[in-house]
Amino acid sequence: MNLNIFIQHFINALSLGSLYGLVAVGYTMVYGILRLINFAHGDIFMLGAYFVYFATIVYKLNWFVGVIIAIILTTICGLLVDRIAYKPLREAPRISALISAIGVSFFIENFAVVVFTGMPRPVVQPPILMKPIEFENGVRLIPLGILVPVVAFVLVGALLWLLYRTKPGLAMRAISFDIETTRMMGVSVNKIIALAFGLGSALAAVAGIMWALRYPRVEPFMGMTPGIKAFIAAVFGGIGSVPGAMIGGLILGFVEIMSVAFFPTLSGYKDAFAFLLLILILLFRPTGLLGEKLEDKI
Amino acid sequence: MRNVRNLLLTIIAVILFALFLDKAPLLLNGYWQRILNLIAINAILALSLNLIYGITGMFSLGHAGFMAIGAYVSALLVLSPAQKNSMWILEDIYPFLLNVNAPFIASIILGGLVAAFFGLLVALPVLRLGGDYLGIATLGFAEIIRILITNAARLTNGPLGLKGIPAYTTLFMSWGCLGVVLLCTVCMLRSNFGGVLRAVRDDEVAAKMMGINTFKIKVIAFTLGCFGGGLGGALMGNLITTIDPRMFMITQTYNILMIIVVGGLGSVTGSIIGSVLVTTMLEWLRFVENPITIGSINIPGIPGMRMVIFSLLLIIVIIFRREGIMGMREFSWNIFFPKPKKKVGKSEREKSDKVLELENITLKFGGLSAIESLSFEIKRGEIVGLIGPNGAGKTSAFNVISGFYKPTSGSIKFLGKSIGGLSPDEVCKAGMSRTFQNIRLFGHETVLQNVMIGSRVRQNYSWWMTLAPFVFTDVLREDGEVKAQALELLGQLGLEEFAEEQASSLPYGAQRRLEIARALATKPEFLLLDEPAAGMNPQESEELMNFIRRLRDEFDLTILLIEHDMKVVMNVCDYIHVLDQGVHIAQGTPAEIKANPRVIEAYLGKGAA
Repeated sequence: MNLNIFIQHFINALSLGSLYGLVAVGYTMVYGILRLINFAHGDIFMLGAYFVYFATIVYKLNWFVGVIIAIILTTICGLLVDRIAYKPLREAPRISALISAIGVSFFIENFAVVVFTGMPRPVVQPPILMKPIEFENGVRLIPLGILVPVVAFVLVGALLWLLYRTKPGLAMRAISFDIETTRMMGVSVNKIIALAFGLGSALAAVAGIMWALRYPRVEPFMGMTPGIKAFIAAVFGGIGSVPGAMIGGLILGFVEIMSVAFFPTLSGYKDAFAFLLLILILLFRPTGLLGEKLEDKI
Repeated sequence: MRNVRNLLLTIIAVILFALFLDKAPLLLNGYWQRILNLIAINAILALSLNLIYGITGMFSLGHAGFMAIGAYVSALLVLSPAQKNSMWILEDIYPFLLNVNAPFIASIILGGLVAAFFGLLVALPVLRLGGDYLGIATLGFAEIIRILITNAARLTNGPLGLKGIPAYTTLFMSWGCLGVVLLCTVCMLRSNFGGVLRAVRDDEVAAKMMGINTFKIKVIAFTLGCFGGGLGGALMGNLITTIDPRMFMITQTYNILMIIVVGGLGSVTGSIIGSVLVTTMLEWLRFVENPITIGSINIPGIPGMRMVIFSLLLIIVIIFRREGIMGMREFSWNIFFPKPKKKVGKSEREKSDKVLELENITLKFGGLSAIESLSFEIKRGEIVGLIGPNGAGKTSAFNVISGFYKPTSGSIKFLGKSIGGLSPDEVCKAGMSRTFQNIRLFGHETVLQNVMIGSRVRQNYSWWMTLAPFVFTDVLREDGEVKAQALELLGQLGLEEFAEEQASSLPYGAQRRLEIARALATKPEFLLLDEPAAGMNPQESEELMNFIRRLRDEFDLTILLIEHDMKVVMNVCDYIHVLDQGVHIAQGTPAEIKANPRVIEAYLGKGAA
């Protein structure tokens, strides 16, 4: 394997991993606060990609305008999901909200089939992002491959700043620690939970849009597999931890790309690696890389 | 009488249903026969997942994977060599597989057994995880199984799947299998072993203290559930006649999960009702995807609409009736008849002078010492108090003695034998039992069942006998004895009137006594009581003192208790140990402790003495 190919794989792994990371952050925030696996999160990701498709191809808007509109619409969808399907179940046993999440996931996917039809659709790729850059040592890179990790890191950095340097961030961390006590401190818990859903959905939208650019097409079930993998990344990094989710996503991206790069005969088993990795970490470090231990009090 | 009547009614119902199945090919078209078959298969799948999740409380999302195993094993066994030869196009089939054949019935049972074997392999490492992590890990395993099936083309024909599987799954087959599964499940759940499964779900910690090896119980339930998954998958393959890896995606598991949630988690009846409703609904809703013509108006079918409506219904059910149709209740013929009433049987052991000996017990969490070199002995027949201010390490000491924490150093002897490395269930079997500071009853069970679960540790029959109690009558006899003893125990503690009530509905004081009754059912020699008087008014704690003395005398016990109510401690205890910040600062008779300046200082601060 020469340097050129290795760098291609490296950049590829970095951008795949940071996409997983961006989606994983949404899972981890919601889980940290509500102890809920938001199964619909992968479908929110899909909606983000579709909104761009509609804005740019159907309504012929400028690509950047389309992206902004798509992020706003996806965020609204994320908030609606919380308001309609999860909020009535806050006091219910956790399984209820989980089933509701599965229902929402089914709903969004099939609603997409009804409205958008099951056919895959093409995506507008802005030429500036796709024109390869050649370096003198023969390395060729596509700007998109670099843009994806940069955007992801900037966004997660901004999220960390919000979590650790602002009042809403403090409230969010307090809620994940003890929701009842936080309520008694005068924090409007539902608003903060909505904020978490909103932020998670916005990040998922960005990830969905960039995902669609990489594989230039959108289809209703495109969120399923990346959704499950991103959740694995969140568990891997230690669920509840935002930096953990990003690190988990990157590791998953690297394992997936590099295993196929170095052992091409195993490419059919590519998806199995993610799960194997997950089971191994659960067995040896059940709380993930950066997660905290929750113990049952006797 | 009641049992004979119910049995008769059940037999009549089964015969009527069998007659219906016999005539079904005449009465129903192929479409409805298929739905009827699917109902039975879904019911088997739902029962098996319900056993794992609803009854035993293990959140598993791996059922589709075990179904896949069952379906492939069965299909590979019933397909003829000629069919196999023509189907494997991409790669050659393994030669040994080509000529393997088995009758249908053997193939579905083998399908179940192979799935159970894989289930066991998965269970041993993964069931140490709890809650959502278990769900994710099992989901991971199911996906791995699917990916292996997709890629192991020489074994499974890869992504092309298997076609032309003989349609052996007739109505009698599918409903016959459901009948057997249902009978075994109901028998097992009605035995005391069934109570143990539910106890593990309700409160694993308390179940351990009842002498139950909860890990083993979970492995058994999980493996049995996987058998059901494999069996269901095998029947499904022989009904649809084609299988491929995409049939066994996570969506398949979600479908089964929906059935048990709609029916009621933990209810067998609910699983059956759920599969009838969900299966019929899913099939019936197909009409929205087909074009309809009403008069002159032509409505084209809308692809995907079926699942949109279905998922909306699911969300509505879960928001407005989240316990499902049956909750945790079960169907019984008794609902058609008014209630009658019921009646009550006795036990002993050998001696050793010192019941408990602690030597230099130290317990550290990180750098923090919860207990520092604690040593004391307790003699047979004593009532000993363990007191100290908040955070003194009293409950930690209890947890070390009862096996929940391993001490960092030091030795513990119980009845002359070291119990340092034993787990709580082993400690319980050795003859020790305890109650908890925050009452830990199996809340969904009745008072009687709570006590019976405590007796499981003294029963001899094995779990698998409960699948066919009419063959292994030990199950019925031993359960009968245990029930009689439990009723007697409830009588002694003044709880007989509550026997059939749900434990969580009892008044507070009665819940405390029930927790003690449950501990006594394990027939301990040594009882640990963690704050028995907490939350009691002066009159209740007065009664409690008499009750504790009576316990010691009537049950021939040695008792160690933690208590904050000094009146109780000073009146009931023969001897008292005082802890402060993990250090053993004093011991003596109640009178000595009252006069000890170090004790007063620990409670009230320096200078108070």
